[in-house]
Amino acid sequence: MAATNTNPSGGSSPAAQGSPRLRRTSWFGLRSGEWALVAAIVVAVLLTGLVDSNHSYFKLPWQSLTDIARNTSLLGIFALGATVVIIAGGIDLSSGSMIALSGTVCATTMLALAPKEMMGFKPVGPAVVAAGVAAALLTGFLVGTLHAWLITAVRLPPFIATLATLVGLRSFARALCESATHALTPTKSALVNVYDPMFKAVRENVWVPVTVFILLALFTWVLLTRTVLGRHIHALGGNEQAARLAGIRTENVKWFAYCFGAMTAALAGLFYVANESVAQPVNQGRGHELNAIAAAVVGGCSLSGGVGTVPGTVLGAVFLRVVIDAVSKIIKTGADVYEGLIVGVVVVIAVTFSQLGALAKGGRQLLPGPLGLCAIPTLALLAGSIASMTAGRNGGIATGLGALLFLGLVRFWESRRTAT
Amino acid sequence: MTTAPFAVRMLGITKRFPGVVALDDVTLEVRRGEIHAICGENGAGKSTLMKILSGVYSPDSGVLEIDGAATRFAGTRDAEHAGIAIIHQELALVEDLPVAANVFLGRERRGAFGLVDDRSMEEECGRLFAQLECGVSPGDRTGSLRVGDQQLVEIAKALSLEASVVVMDEPTSALTESESARLERTIQRLVARGTTILYISHKMDEVFRLADRITVLRDGRHVRTVDKTATTPREVTGWMVGRDIAGHEFHHGRPRGAKILEVRDLTLPWPEHPRGYRLKDISLDLHAGEILGVAGLMGAGRTELLEVLFGAADDTWTGTVCLHGDSVRFRHPREACAARVAMVTEDRKRLGLFPDLDVTGNISLCSLGEALRGGFLSRAAEEQLAAGPVRDTGVKTPGLHAAITGLSGGNQQKCIIGRWLLTRPEVLLLDDPTRGIDVGAKAELYSLIDRLCRQGLGVILTSSELPELLTLADRILVLAEGKVTAEMTRAEATEARIMEAATAG
Repeated sequence: MAATNTNPSGGSSPAAQGSPRLRRTSWFGLRSGEWALVAAIVVAVLLTGLVDSNHSYFKLPWQSLTDIARNTSLLGIFALGATVVIIAGGIDLSSGSMIALSGTVCATTMLALAPKEMMGFKPVGPAVVAAGVAAALLTGFLVGTLHAWLITAVRLPPFIATLATLVGLRSFARALCESATHALTPTKSALVNVYDPMFKAVRENVWVPVTVFILLALFTWVLLTRTVLGRHIHALGGNEQAARLAGIRTENVKWFAYCFGAMTAALAGLFYVANESVAQPVNQGRGHELNAIAAAVVGGCSLSGGVGTVPGTVLGAVFLRVVIDAVSKIIKTGADVYEGLIVGVVVVIAVTFSQLGALAKGGRQLLPGPLGLCAIPTLALLAGSIASMTAGRNGGIATGLGALLFLGLVRFWESRRTAT
Repeated sequence: MTTAPFAVRMLGITKRFPGVVALDDVTLEVRRGEIHAICGENGAGKSTLMKILSGVYSPDSGVLEIDGAATRFAGTRDAEHAGIAIIHQELALVEDLPVAANVFLGRERRGAFGLVDDRSMEEECGRLFAQLECGVSPGDRTGSLRVGDQQLVEIAKALSLEASVVVMDEPTSALTESESARLERTIQRLVARGTTILYISHKMDEVFRLADRITVLRDGRHVRTVDKTATTPREVTGWMVGRDIAGHEFHHGRPRGAKILEVRDLTLPWPEHPRGYRLKDISLDLHAGEILGVAGLMGAGRTELLEVLFGAADDTWTGTVCLHGDSVRFRHPREACAARVAMVTEDRKRLGLFPDLDVTGNISLCSLGEALRGGFLSRAAEEQLAAGPVRDTGVKTPGLHAAITGLSGGNQQKCIIGRWLLTRPEVLLLDDPTRGIDVGAKAELYSLIDRLCRQGLGVILTSSELPELLTLADRILVLAEGKVTAEMTRAEATEARIMEAATAG
C-alpha cells in the first residue's frame, strides 16, 4: 500500500470520534447499576414495612436493623474477598469451608493453650484469644498460598483448585476438631464450644462486625482504586496474557488475590464462631461461598474478570440480606428455609436486568423457539409452587396462571417484533 | 478463452471492511478439474476471497457463479451443499473427539432407533483414509494427531462431502517435507477424480509443481491470471510485490549510534514439533538509532524471536543475548522492562489491550510508579502522565477517559506504543505494529517510529508487509522456518530478493 504518500495528519478513523463511549458514568461515586441497587434496597425495605402483618420494622426497628447489619457484615466481609478474586479473573469456591476451618483452628488453638478454661466455660484471657485469631488468619494465608500455587504452578483451573479445597478443607476441619478434642478433652467431639467473654462481647455488640466490615470495605476500595496492585488486579482479570506482556508479575498478583480471599473468609469465620458461641466444622458456613459470589455478581462483578467495584459488592450484600429478611418477615418462617431460593432468584433477576438493554437492541429473544415454549410452563410452575407454599393454594394457582399469561404475552410480543 | 465450463466464476467481487477495501472488483474464473493457484502477499485478499467463496462473508457487490449458475450463499452450509469445501490454514477440528466424529460432525449418520451409527462412520472414514494413504485410525483422538494428519482429516471431510471444489489455504505451512509430498499426491488423486482445486500459497516451488493456472492478487486487486507454462516464478513474485513504492522513505540520514544489542546463536526449541526448533542459530546486532527489519512468512519465527528478547518465551532458549555488552537472560517481561527493553505485541486485541481500562489506564499501566502521590495512585497524576504520549504520538481520542475499545486500530496502537514510551526504553521491539490498521494511520505510525529512532532508540521491527520494512528499516534480516536466510542493507534489499530468501526454507 502506498502508505508513505499519505498526509500523516489525515489518518483518523471516524469510528473513534463517532460515539465517545465514556467510562466514567457515575453520579456521586456510584454507577447507574449501583444506584439501581440502592433503589431496590429502599423498595424492598418499604415493601416489607407495609406488607409484614407483624409490623416488626415499626415495632422493633432497632432489632431488625441489628439483625440485617450483623448478617450483612458476616456475608460482606468475605464477599469482599470474593470480589477481589473475581476481578482478578479467578473464582474461589472454598470460602464456606475456609470459614469452618478458620473457626476450628481458632477454637482448637485456644483449647490447646487453655484446655481447663475452655472446658470449664471460663475466660481464657486476651493472649490466648489473640493466638487463636492469629492462627486462624495465618491458616487463611496458607490456604490462599495453596490456591495460588495450584493455579499458577500446577496450572489447575481456579474452579478445580478451589472445588478441591471446598470439599477438602471442611473435612480437614472436622478431622482437626475431632483429633484435637480427642487429645485434649475426655471425649472426642465434632464441635468446640467457645464461651470466652471476648467472643460474647462481639456477639452482643453488633457494631464490632459492622465496623470491621466497613473498615475492610474501605481498605479494599482504596486497594482496588488507588494502588498499583489494585490496577494490576484489574489488568490481570481483563487480559491475563497482555498483563504478563506488560511486565506484570501475574503469579504474584494472583497469590495476593487468593490470599486476600481466603483471609477474609478466615476473618468471617471468627465472627461466625462468636455469633454461634461454637466452632462447628460440619455445618458452619456451608454453602455460603455461593452467597458471597452472588453478592459480588449482583453488585456488578463479571465472572470473566476485570470488572467490579467495592460499592457494588457492599450494596449486593445488603440487598441479598434485606430480601432474605423481607421474605422471612412476610411469610413468617425461618429465613434459612428460603435463603437459597431467594439468592438464586435475586442473582438471575439482577443479571437478567443488566442484560435487558442488550437484549432489546440485539433483537435477541428471551423466549425463543421450542426452548422458550417449554420455559414458559416451567417458570409458571416454579412461581406457582413457591406461591402456594408461602401464600396458600389459591394464591399459588393465581400466581401460576398469572405468570403463564404474562410469559405468553411476552412470547407473543417477541414473535411479533421479530416477524416485522 | 473458454475451453471447459467453469466450476467457479467470481465476477467483479468487492468487499469492504471498516477502514479497508479488502477486495476491489476481483474476478476469478476457475476451470473444472484444474488446479488453480492463488498467490499474493499477506493482506492481498486471498483469504477474504476464499471466505466469500465458502460462504463465510457475503460480497458487497459482484456475482458468484457455481457451475454456470449465479448463486448467493447465506452461510457455510449453503457453500457445502453447492459442493465447495475449504481447508483453512487454522484447522477447524474438535480436538477431543475421535477422527471419525470430526469427519461427520454435524452430519452424523444414524442407525437403529436414531442412535449414532459410529461403526458405519468409522468404516467410511477408514475407506477415505485408505484412499489418502493415511495410517490414522478413525477411532484416534483428533488432538493426538500430527498437524499433517489433522489436515488429512479435513481433506477426508471434504471427500465425504463429495465436494467438487476444494479450497486449500496455505496447506503446507505447517507440514514436513514428506507430509507435503503426501499432500501433493493426494491433490493429484483428487484431480484425477475430477475435483477442482483452489490452492493458496506463496511458495513458488509448490505452485509451479502443482498448478495449471496461477492468479495473482495484490492489495485486494486482481493482477493477472496466467497459465503456468507462460510464466516463471520470478515473474510471479514480481507481480505479487510489484507495487509503486516510490513514496518517501524514512531511513535516510539517520545517524547510527553505538551497538546496544548483540544476539549470538540463539536457538529456541520446539519439543512437540517434527522440526524440533522454533528458532535456530540466530545472530543479530542492533545499534542505537537504527531500525532492524525482520522479514519472514507466517510461522517463520518473527514473533518468537522478539518474545525471547523480551523474556516472554515459554521454552528455555540457548545462546547469548548481550545488552550494552552485558549478558542478559530475561525470565519475565518485567526484567526486560527494567533493562529498558519494550515490546509492542503483534495481536493488539489479544496481547496488548485492556478493554476494561480507559485510555489513561491503558497508557499508564507500565509506569504506575510515577503516578503515585503519597503512596496512592492519583488519577490527576495518571492523566498528566498519559497526556504526554497522547500528545506526542498523536492519539485521536474524545478524551483521556474514553474507552480504549472505542478508538480505531491505529489509535489503539499509538496508545500501546505510548505505554511503552513512558518506560523510556532503549530497545523497542515492534511486532507487526501496523497489522489491521488503515493506510493513513500507517503513515502516521511510520513517521512516529522514524522520529523515535532519530531520538536514539534501537528498534527491531517485524512486518508481514515488505513495503513497510523497505520504508522504515536500515537493515533487513530474513527468517525462513526459524533460520536466518539472508541479511541485507536497505540498499541491497528489494521485495523480490526478500521474498526469495523468505521462501527459501
